[in-house]
Amino acid sequence: MTVSADWNWKRVALAGMRDALSLPAWVVGLGLVGIGSLARDVGYPVDVAVLSTILVWAGPSQVIFFGSIAAGAAWSAIAIAIGFASLRFLPMTVAILPLLKRPGQGLGMQLLLAHYVAVTAWTEGLRRLPAIAPHQRTAYFLGFANTCMAVSALGTYAGYYLISALPVPLAAGLLCLTPIFFLASLAAGVRHRGDVVAMALGLTLAPLFDRLIGGGFDLIIAGLIGGSVAFAWQRRRRAA
Amino acid sequence: MTQPIAWLDGPLWPYLALLLFAVLPTEIWRWLAVAFSRRIDPESAVVEWVRSVATALLAGVVAKLIIAPPGALAALPLGLRVGALAVTLAIMIFDRRKVLWAVLAGEVVLVGGGWLLI
Repeated sequence: MTVSADWNWKRVALAGMRDALSLPAWVVGLGLVGIGSLARDVGYPVDVAVLSTILVWAGPSQVIFFGSIAAGAAWSAIAIAIGFASLRFLPMTVAILPLLKRPGQGLGMQLLLAHYVAVTAWTEGLRRLPAIAPHQRTAYFLGFANTCMAVSALGTYAGYYLISALPVPLAAGLLCLTPIFFLASLAAGVRHRGDVVAMALGLTLAPLFDRLIGGGFDLIIAGLIGGSVAFAWQRRRRAA
Repeated sequence: MTQPIAWLDGPLWPYLALLLFAVLPTEIWRWLAVAFSRRIDPESAVVEWVRSVATALLAGVVAKLIIAPPGALAALPLGLRVGALAVTLAIMIFDRRKVLWAVLAGEVVLVGGGWLLI
């Protein structure tokens, strides 16, 4: 929905909540249902599953955490794998913060805003925030992101108790919501052909490098090469 | 199953493990971004480049979740998982405002196909 520049912060936050509930919050929430079942499989309490959604707020990190414990990986290997898988938050956060920054905003507020950066808030934020007046963006973003997080916390809690009772195709469908929604969000956020090239290279290089490199470094290298090639290609196109 | 670190073990271990080995390695990048972004111009080529890298990285995460999937998803054949993703992508290419339909169609292919095959 469109946000009028004269609305107060409560109404703007409410608009953010409504936009979240129009679809993204449900998809993230359903996508994180699987985390509950993974946490249960390793015998961790339900509150650790829910806390992982609130504090980590990154589906792939959570999958790696509980999945690696189940597989018996070393703690250091788990931390390094998660660190590499989360490196994408550095460029993502750097890209979205300029839209949210205001003069006089404290460091605490910026750290809080950065915490919500994950695929949903990032793609939806980059798409929707530019149309909103700068002084209203923080309220909108917090309304949007907190709604996604609350629904997801409920989803994780439900998954802890429910998913093992589901038939395999349905459980698989819930686990596959994360990649399907990631892909649709990325496609919705495409601004020019450079983004298309970046997506295509990421999709093809990551599985390739998984075979060639592995060890957790493959994803980062695929992103750096794919993203840099797409960036250079777009620059040359614009200059031509 | 990874065993707790002996001298830190106790009823609080799962919480400690979550903070040390999941929250910290994830959150640190968001904090570093805040530190860096104070000196970065949003229109600059650097931001354009990092956006491009982030897009490729996320697409890479998608591909890896499909190639090496968690839990019950691994029980379905690779062709079906890729097919579901292809249907979602095809709808998004046709009309990028149809996020809901693209997600639903991909899910229908996956769950429906899984039902027929298993």
